[in-house]
Amino acid sequence: MSQGLLTTSVGSFPKSAAVQQARNQFAQGKLSARDLEDLEKQATRDWITFQEEIGMDILVDGEQYRGDMATHFAELMDGYTISGLVRSYGNRYYRKPIAVGRVGRRGPMTLDMWRFAQDLTELPVKGMLTGPYTMADWSFNEYYPTREAFIMDLAHAIHEEALDLERAGAKYIQIDEPALSTRPEEMEIGSRALGIVTEGLSAHTITHICYGDFAKVFNTLINLPVDQIDLELANSNYALLDYFKGVKFEKAIGFGVLDVHTHRTETVEEVKAGIKRGLEILRPDQIFVDPDCGLKTRTVEEAQDKLRVMMQATAEVKRELGIS
Amino acid sequence: MITTVVGNYPKVPSLGNGPNMRTAISRFDQGRITAEELAKTIDDASADAIGEQVQAGVDLVSDGNLRWDDEITYFTRSLSGVTLNGLLRFFDSNTYFRQPVVEGPIGWKGPVSVGDFGKAKALSPKPVKTILPGPYQIAFHCQDKHYGDPGKLAHAAAEALNAEARALQDAGAGFIQFNDPVLLQHKHRFSEYRELARKMTEGITVTTALYTYFGDIDGLYPQLFDLPFEVFGLDFVWGEANFNLLKSFPSDKKLGFGIADARNTKMESIEDLVGQVDAIKMVVPMDRLYLNPTCGLEFLPRANAYAKLVRLAEAAKRAQEVLS
Repeated sequence: MSQGLLTTSVGSFPKSAAVQQARNQFAQGKLSARDLEDLEKQATRDWITFQEEIGMDILVDGEQYRGDMATHFAELMDGYTISGLVRSYGNRYYRKPIAVGRVGRRGPMTLDMWRFAQDLTELPVKGMLTGPYTMADWSFNEYYPTREAFIMDLAHAIHEEALDLERAGAKYIQIDEPALSTRPEEMEIGSRALGIVTEGLSAHTITHICYGDFAKVFNTLINLPVDQIDLELANSNYALLDYFKGVKFEKAIGFGVLDVHTHRTETVEEVKAGIKRGLEILRPDQIFVDPDCGLKTRTVEEAQDKLRVMMQATAEVKRELGIS
Repeated sequence: MITTVVGNYPKVPSLGNGPNMRTAISRFDQGRITAEELAKTIDDASADAIGEQVQAGVDLVSDGNLRWDDEITYFTRSLSGVTLNGLLRFFDSNTYFRQPVVEGPIGWKGPVSVGDFGKAKALSPKPVKTILPGPYQIAFHCQDKHYGDPGKLAHAAAEALNAEARALQDAGAGFIQFNDPVLLQHKHRFSEYRELARKMTEGITVTTALYTYFGDIDGLYPQLFDLPFEVFGLDFVWGEANFNLLKSFPSDKKLGFGIADARNTKMESIEDLVGQVDAIKMVVPMDRLYLNPTCGLEFLPRANAYAKLVRLAEAAKRAQEVLS
């Protein structure tokens, strides 16, 4: 049994030029769904192999088949249509979900791909879901009279998916909620919805949050109904850790040590210093070392370099401190 | 009653026809077209955006701010003392802006939007408004390494905005609008804003407007209307409380009545829109109303944005028929 500092990833890995091109060709009707799926599965195999090679403890499938994290699920659910193009920043556009009826699960959404990835390795692969608050917040709503009603229907649908993942054998289930901290006044609704998703699960549950006004949301955040709160720490130079000082906190932290928005690869020393700052406040078994966020915005090479640094730094800290 | 827009218009056509900035920018980035060719596409796209507004029945149009990457940087990056940094979330939306960094004293170096206004004016059969960010929209979205106080930075921004407004006035602009939703997040600074508003409008004799959105003016009523602008734009969807707050309105001012939700694809009915005009007309007579979306339309796909404008223009026509 490990004493802690397990290593993992937040979810997405970059898509190679070949996968990107195949997705574009598929969108233009120039490539069949089967051919695209074959390529995506090959890319998934490659990422699983890479994670095993660098010694990662808890794996992800790398989300080679996902575009936008809300739209991906909305396309698989009832009650949704997908909008025309909207711009998120620069020259990046995406299609946004529109709730046009009561939303619900048509059938399993992530199960086949999770099984595919888990069958490739002996190590645990995380089940990856987008949370109800984020799904609602990143959708247009033409149906529900209140945001709360919309969020709660989503919560029940995502709960069913989480149950399916657990029954299939998933030991870790992550419910991403990057939008959750954007409106402090709605945190309570988001937290309640997350509680519906995780209710009765025995798997280790995780939620990934991007921080907004951290001071305002901290108390709700640390009490979210999950086992692990995954935080971006590197991009604020670990300043968020200060909030945990003197606070009784028994959950685990997904401890982000790689800034996913910079091209620069962190040094081993920087990452080690970050982990050691965490160990001043948290026990080793409370820390799951990972990147700040999904690595999909980096190139394949940048992402792999960063992950290798993360692995080396974690190994050195464990050796220096005698953590097995 | 005049129908108008508040800010940006979606940059790319929905149906794949018409000038496509997204494709052009991507080709330019790959070195496949020249800067001149890109500029030509953007000019054509702006002409298209104006044409769509006119076709929809909008009386006072904008050029769609198609050259703007976000609501802050187009003007701000042109100032001396400013560089650009990483991406930050814009309010609670799922869109991002590049954060300006104030490295030294900021200063106006010359006209930023005068050329854009000239092009739009030459193209449009309808009057054209010009839009600038307000001083808080600039000051509170920057990383300030120089002033050490958002008030001081806002004052410097107000001076630069005044220089720009004067240049626009000299070039024949008849309607100069400042978008400052950030004011609603810092209502306690209102006395400072009085001074900023005086500075921004100094020497400006054409129509000026201050638009706020994403919230209500609770705490700023009625003193907001003392500011030296002729038009005040308020959001009655994301700031629904504005309906109850607005008990009276000065007889020498006009209201930008934001009742079509620019952040949701759900279409308002003509009956609803006319009903809202009917409700407000006891406080603000119809001849002092600008009917407009709640904010810029770029949160929507192009087809939805266009449909909202058509609906607004129809509602304005109906209201004039049945309520006059």
